[in-house]
Amino acid sequence: MAFIKVKDLSYYYPDTSKPALDKIDLEVPAGQFVLIVGASGSGKSSLVRAIAGVIPDFYGGVYGGNVYLNNQDIRNMSRRAVAKTAGLLFQDPESQLVMSNVEQEIVFGMENLGLPNSLMKRRLMEVTNALGLSDHLQSFIPELSGGQKQKVALASILAMQPEILLLDEPTSQLDPVAAEEILSIIKRLNEENGITVIMAEQRLERCFHLADRVLVMDEGQIVYDHHAPEAITYWALNNNCAFIPPLARLFAGVEYPEIPTTVKQGRRILKSFSSISESNLKSLPSAGKKLVEIKEDQDQPVLEVKNLWFTFANGQEALKNIDLRLRSGDFTVIMGANGAGKTTLIKHISGLLKPGRGTVKVLGRDTKKLSVEELAPRVGYLAQDPNDYLFLPTVREELAFTLQNLHLPDNGIIQEMLSRLKLDCYQNVNPRDLSTGERQRVALASILVTRPPILLLDEPTRGLDYQLKKELGDMLLELQAQGTTIVVITHDVEFAAEYASAILLMSQGSIIEYGSKYDMLSGSTFYSPQINKLFHNIVNGVVTLEQGKEALNRLLKLNETRAVSV
Amino acid sequence: MFTYREKDNLIYKLHPLTMVTFIAVVFVLSLLLSNPVYLLGLLAAVGIVIAAADVLEKWKVYLKYSLFLIVLIMIINALVVQLGQTVLYKTAPLPLTGEITITLEALAFGAGMGIRLLIIISVFCLYTYAVHPDKVLKMFSKGGNKSVLVIILSTRLFPLLMKDYARITEVQRCRGVKLDTGGWWNRIRNYLPVISVLLLSSLERALKLAESMYARGYGSGNRSYYTRELWRPRDYIILAAIMICFIIAIISALKGWSDYSYYPRLSKVGSGAVVVTGIMTLNLAVPAILNWGWKKWPLLRSKI
Repeated sequence: MAFIKVKDLSYYYPDTSKPALDKIDLEVPAGQFVLIVGASGSGKSSLVRAIAGVIPDFYGGVYGGNVYLNNQDIRNMSRRAVAKTAGLLFQDPESQLVMSNVEQEIVFGMENLGLPNSLMKRRLMEVTNALGLSDHLQSFIPELSGGQKQKVALASILAMQPEILLLDEPTSQLDPVAAEEILSIIKRLNEENGITVIMAEQRLERCFHLADRVLVMDEGQIVYDHHAPEAITYWALNNNCAFIPPLARLFAGVEYPEIPTTVKQGRRILKSFSSISESNLKSLPSAGKKLVEIKEDQDQPVLEVKNLWFTFANGQEALKNIDLRLRSGDFTVIMGANGAGKTTLIKHISGLLKPGRGTVKVLGRDTKKLSVEELAPRVGYLAQDPNDYLFLPTVREELAFTLQNLHLPDNGIIQEMLSRLKLDCYQNVNPRDLSTGERQRVALASILVTRPPILLLDEPTRGLDYQLKKELGDMLLELQAQGTTIVVITHDVEFAAEYASAILLMSQGSIIEYGSKYDMLSGSTFYSPQINKLFHNIVNGVVTLEQGKEALNRLLKLNETRAVSV
Repeated sequence: MFTYREKDNLIYKLHPLTMVTFIAVVFVLSLLLSNPVYLLGLLAAVGIVIAAADVLEKWKVYLKYSLFLIVLIMIINALVVQLGQTVLYKTAPLPLTGEITITLEALAFGAGMGIRLLIIISVFCLYTYAVHPDKVLKMFSKGGNKSVLVIILSTRLFPLLMKDYARITEVQRCRGVKLDTGGWWNRIRNYLPVISVLLLSSLERALKLAESMYARGYGSGNRSYYTRELWRPRDYIILAAIMICFIIAIISALKGWSDYSYYPRLSKVGSGAVVVTGIMTLNLAVPAILNWGWKKWPLLRSKI
């Protein structure tokens, strides 16, 4: 018997002519963990919202078909009954917390249900113990980290004891450690408490293996529905979908019959190859050669940081003795835990902060003597949230605004950027009406119109799906080839492995290590991409997907020849 | 900004209703009583409790600004009110106002009003720093008052807004928006992008927030009210002391002991008024006295 039943569901957001959901039919038995994947705008969020009853009650719009929870039509259920049955967790923790105190936030949902005080106390105790929030009950919410905030939001929903947990990209705004914690809590709830979970998610390398079933959505329809990772991976490859995690993509790329979903499974497959003996597991010959040479040369560095120290007004020493030289065409990724000083370093390059001691020179000029506005045409800065840029009525005006501020002429650069970032068709659209990925492209374009020799990006992959990440990465590589120096702050190891040339590791305000990605991202337990973890101690120095394919092919060939000779 | 910070003293470990009663009683008495001795007693009591709550530093800031205000009140009162017999200064006849006299009584009246103002500002300071805003608001929102939720939401959103503002300013400066150069008109105009972004982003966030509240069943029927505030002996002791003080004050007011006339000449302050004030102040200082004992004797902690 289906616990959730969606029948012939269609939905149009108000004032749109394209359906967000197009004749969806779906049955989910109780206790299943369903993962919904698909590109941005494919209807994942809309489906999740429709099951929670938020569509159409909150959004309005045109609605057809039925959603049944527990054999009851959601349209005939009271709102309270729906809220008791299905809990909905959103993307951004900041915009779903109502109270300023953790305890009050967790009881908020229960108060709305009109539960008696004694029951609320009990559930509060249970849920805070289960999620490890007991020590934070009296904490002030704005002072919590992103992951803790998301945990509080989840706790508030769980306290209502829903039978169905609906999640709309719950980890997209979190760093990997926090994301992992949220996902493991969700897995535990599903396995130990039997809660039905329906989750829309983009970070598949972290949750592909958790799900009992994967739905692929596109253009408002469920285009594929299967439980086996192999079938989904092959289907996605054949249909040119970008959402497959790197590990699955690697094995599918060489047409291996078994598709692993975790590193553990992948290594088991590799270890099973009879050929793997001490002699030929050293390293890939090509891997070593691809090293980026960080050599001293005569070139004037584009960016030169010397003995930089910085202390905030509250006494916190944020940067300690930073030395860094970047040349034209360098692509550096800065990694490190929250509070390691990554953003503070970037702000010194854009001139938003001035050195306490030491110097920062951009194109040979000391930033101490330049204002932020004077540095703006030389240093482009893309902040985390593209919304911080957008306020003008059209995309084109948004680009023109930067030029106008800096008194630069428009010698065709606006048109060039619009077409390069595939924004031609949106040039007269309000940027606030675009999707996250498109908004980011507009923000990026509004910076690139000055043709800055240095481009700084702070967490640019946050909230992007695989396809958008790839587009962003390719664009950055193109800029790099033209000589732009690129510095990216990210927690996204997979992105760094694919696109960066050098990695800078920071901790507690100091540079821990700086070097080529092939050295920096291999052989580490946490700062390595999945591909590297897979080949660790089997073939060394494998970092990118391309190398992974090469290594896997060689292993397969060796395996065949061995098998033949034996 | 959210200013409340929990500190380790008894004042923060009271039932919120106890603190609210204290603040309300002092506020009402400061309006009811006009004798400067009584007012000084109230001020002293509030000051002692503020010191006990360990927010003296914050109070000093309030005092600095209110002293300026008091001087202003005294000057204006002395210039405008021409009553009183003890003339301190007399101007030559002026064209519009005629002759202006400054009298001791008018100055004293201004000072009396000033003390009253100081008490009100001080209890406000105590409320801001020593009482958890959400807890108090929630006490008055049994049954789910919407306006209370709006106030709670704004205390939650304000720090967020400040953060947004700082971030957006930086982003727009990196886009060449000049925020600290040019004339004032230019600067205001240049802040437009920052304000527009802030407004648009806040609206988007408000919608998401509303959706999250909706999904959690807000407005789906009668709300219940969660509380785990406990009453302890300390609350009863303090409430009793406040009540005694309040009754004494009402009796004083009815009997006319707390009346005071500034004009035409300052009336005398009897020793009775001083004694009554002393008793009242002592009663109002009970929270501070208990706090002192609470810190000194661990045994008392477990008893109250």
